[in-house]
Amino acid sequence: MTRRFNCALFCAMLLVLSLTFSAWGTGLDAFSSLTGKIDIAGGTAHIPVMKEAAKQIMKANPAIRITVAGGGSGVGVQKVGEGLVDIGNTGRSLSPEEIEKYGLQSFPFAIDGVAAIVHPSNPVTGLSSEQIQAIFAGTITNWQELGGPDQPINLYTRDEASGTREVFWKKLLQKGSIAERANVVASNGAMKVAISQDPAAIGYMSIGHLDEIVKGIEVDGAAPTQDNAINGSYKIVRKLYMNTKGEPSPLVKAFIDYICGPEGTPLISAAGYIPLQ
Amino acid sequence: MGRGTKQKTERSATFSRWRQPNERLLLAGLRSCAWLVALAVVLIFLFLLYFSLPALRPESLKTLLNWHWRPYGGEFGILPMVVGSLLLAVSALALAYPLGIALCLFIHGLGPRILRRPLRLILHLMTGVPTVVYGFIAAFLLVPMLRQAFHGSGFSWLAASLTLSLLILPTIVLMLNSQFEPLRARLETSFVALGYSPEQALLQGILPLARQGLLAAAVLGFGRAIGDTLISLMLAGNAPLVPEAPLDSLRTLTAHIALVLATDAQSSTYQSLFVCGTILFGVSLLVNLSLRRLTRSILAPESPT
Amino acid sequence: MSRAQAGMIRFVCWLAAMTLVIVLGVAIVFLCRRGLPIIDSRLLFGDTSWWLAVSGQRPVWDGLWPALAGTLALVLLASVLALPVGIGAGIYLAEFARGKTKQLLSLPVELLAGIPSIVMGLFGFALILLLRRSIFHSANTSLLLAAAIIALLILPYLITTTQTALQGIDPGLRLTGPALGLSQSHTLWHILLPAASRGILGGVALALGRAAEDTAVIMLTGVVASAGLPSGLTEKFEALPFTIYYFTAQHTCSRELDLAFAASLMLLLLTWSLQGSALLLQRTLERS
Repeated sequence: MTRRFNCALFCAMLLVLSLTFSAWGTGLDAFSSLTGKIDIAGGTAHIPVMKEAAKQIMKANPAIRITVAGGGSGVGVQKVGEGLVDIGNTGRSLSPEEIEKYGLQSFPFAIDGVAAIVHPSNPVTGLSSEQIQAIFAGTITNWQELGGPDQPINLYTRDEASGTREVFWKKLLQKGSIAERANVVASNGAMKVAISQDPAAIGYMSIGHLDEIVKGIEVDGAAPTQDNAINGSYKIVRKLYMNTKGEPSPLVKAFIDYICGPEGTPLISAAGYIPLQ
Repeated sequence: MGRGTKQKTERSATFSRWRQPNERLLLAGLRSCAWLVALAVVLIFLFLLYFSLPALRPESLKTLLNWHWRPYGGEFGILPMVVGSLLLAVSALALAYPLGIALCLFIHGLGPRILRRPLRLILHLMTGVPTVVYGFIAAFLLVPMLRQAFHGSGFSWLAASLTLSLLILPTIVLMLNSQFEPLRARLETSFVALGYSPEQALLQGILPLARQGLLAAAVLGFGRAIGDTLISLMLAGNAPLVPEAPLDSLRTLTAHIALVLATDAQSSTYQSLFVCGTILFGVSLLVNLSLRRLTRSILAPESPT
Repeated sequence: MSRAQAGMIRFVCWLAAMTLVIVLGVAIVFLCRRGLPIIDSRLLFGDTSWWLAVSGQRPVWDGLWPALAGTLALVLLASVLALPVGIGAGIYLAEFARGKTKQLLSLPVELLAGIPSIVMGLFGFALILLLRRSIFHSANTSLLLAAAIIALLILPYLITTTQTALQGIDPGLRLTGPALGLSQSHTLWHILLPAASRGILGGVALALGRAAEDTAVIMLTGVVASAGLPSGLTEKFEALPFTIYYFTAQHTCSRELDLAFAASLMLLLLTWSLQGSALLLQRTLERS
């Protein structure tokens, strides 16, 4: 009797175990039977995550080709909408017009903050949001007025297609104006390079890109860290989205699942963002 | 053969008629190559025109002839970029042209004979340096220097202008060279026979006669400067404004096209780009036609008085 | 003109020459100092073994090989498109075109030479826009488009050097063909072209150099920052000049900046060697 019971229990366990087999393939195995290519373009904040994911996937399955381009959130929307790429990344949510015009689907995968950044040698460590608004509008023009050295402030901003810019403008600048004489750079990476080389500069950048060569400053007392972004004390945050036109193809779906799933979490964290888990 | 025998040179004497069919085929093939090139140029012009036509209507023209570029706010003014292109090209020419004349004089007489060939070689080497490498070196060498010296961001009209003048210098010198050499070859001995020293011959005799060559070199340099993209894209700061000082940022038409196509994405901005392209095409057309007129008359030089 | 004035002018000329040499020297030394130390076995292939990378079995990360391969593919494709047309047109203009036709046909060649490269790139982009709107809805910027536009860009070099080379042939040599009873095409093929070959090859080398270094055209017609090895005519690709530009504007780590220095050196060496061979070929032509 006990023997039959044990046998039945054993069989039941095997059955339950076999049902979970399908869940085992969510990682890189999901790509093993797929071939093809994925073209990704859009937000520059996403690039480190996309590139690392592409690296892992292409190592596991050389039959897949993934190309990653930047251009900014606006470019991402337009390119995926026109069918020029498979995934368009945006650092902002899509507007209803965009969704309707192109028939896009959004897949958020991370939370990111936008920090105001300066050169590490700049003595300024924190500013109020009104001060930052005045700086970018061009009314405060010298670091001396903020407790820094006597040097004119060099403004850096992003091009208008940038999702980072839109979030910064909406949430920190409260839709205030940005002085026309600001230097325009084309991506988060370019912003980082520009600020790191100019001691009198101020700009803004995704928190995920922060490292020792630039310094993020506190806004109204809240430091731009991912912890503060999670607990809500740092308010200038946004989600990072992958967008496709209509239903994604199996290969693209596998990629999206990879990023949003458990295998993508370490990639997202390593890039400095907060996974949406 | 009713072509007029006096037009026949030895060249045409050998190829006056093609008799066999496969030779006619060959001739047709060669002719079509030449016409293909002509077709391509016409096509380029037509495409530019076709895509800029929507922007040339009075309402849209008004938005274009504006001083503000804010595509997401509906402002598509390209005038700052037009001014930017002109300022940059003229300033680069102003730096490179005198330098070019000085170098040309150096090569043709005012410098020691030993140094002539090396200097010429250096100039030839300079023409082989890719534009992007000029921009790259300047971005990491010149811009930090300017930043430390002048407290700006370094990316400025001045940085782009200095680098651009370096870029167009070999063009100017080599063009001047090609004008000076035949003049010198023909006239130097005459001047020396008249009692001029070689340097005086060069400065007072030949230089004034090379007026048209000088002008041609300036036009060519200007054309090259206004058509360059990478240097202003990498060095000039790209703020869509008219600069007020050499250390301000500016944006040229060429950099504007590159930036907008690479970053902005609204189809209404494309029209303004094609207008920029048409403007640039028109400028290069002007440059070309004036060069043609100037250099043609050099081939039949004036005789010394 | 007094001696003092002549002396002043001479001084200015010396100053000019010295300024040029110093500026160039500083630039080259700077480039070499930062670029030469990077040149090691990892430069091209990163961490991937070279055989796997070249045969395309494994992608290359942190290496310049994809960009180099992309540039080579682009130059090859552009020359396949441009060489026949350019040399053919040059032969036609030098040997067969007369009077009005010749004047009419040499104008487009000069115009083409003067068009800024960004306008050519814009033309390529416009081409794709038009195709997408009308017959070819899935047309996209790609290697083929970029190569076609680059081919247009380098045509003037090929045409004018072929023309100059053919027009510079000794008239006596031209009569040898008919004197021996050769037909016109035979004369062209066996006598004239070989005599002009050095000049033509020089033009080819110049054209290849121009194709390799151009950035503005490819930026608008299909180059991207990371695409791996060139995988097809309708695919995006990488190229050395764009990699240099991209890393200058936005390098995310010091390795990328080092790669940019090394890529600049590599591109410079490539264009200099092509230009050098062009000069050598043309100089031997002049001498003989």
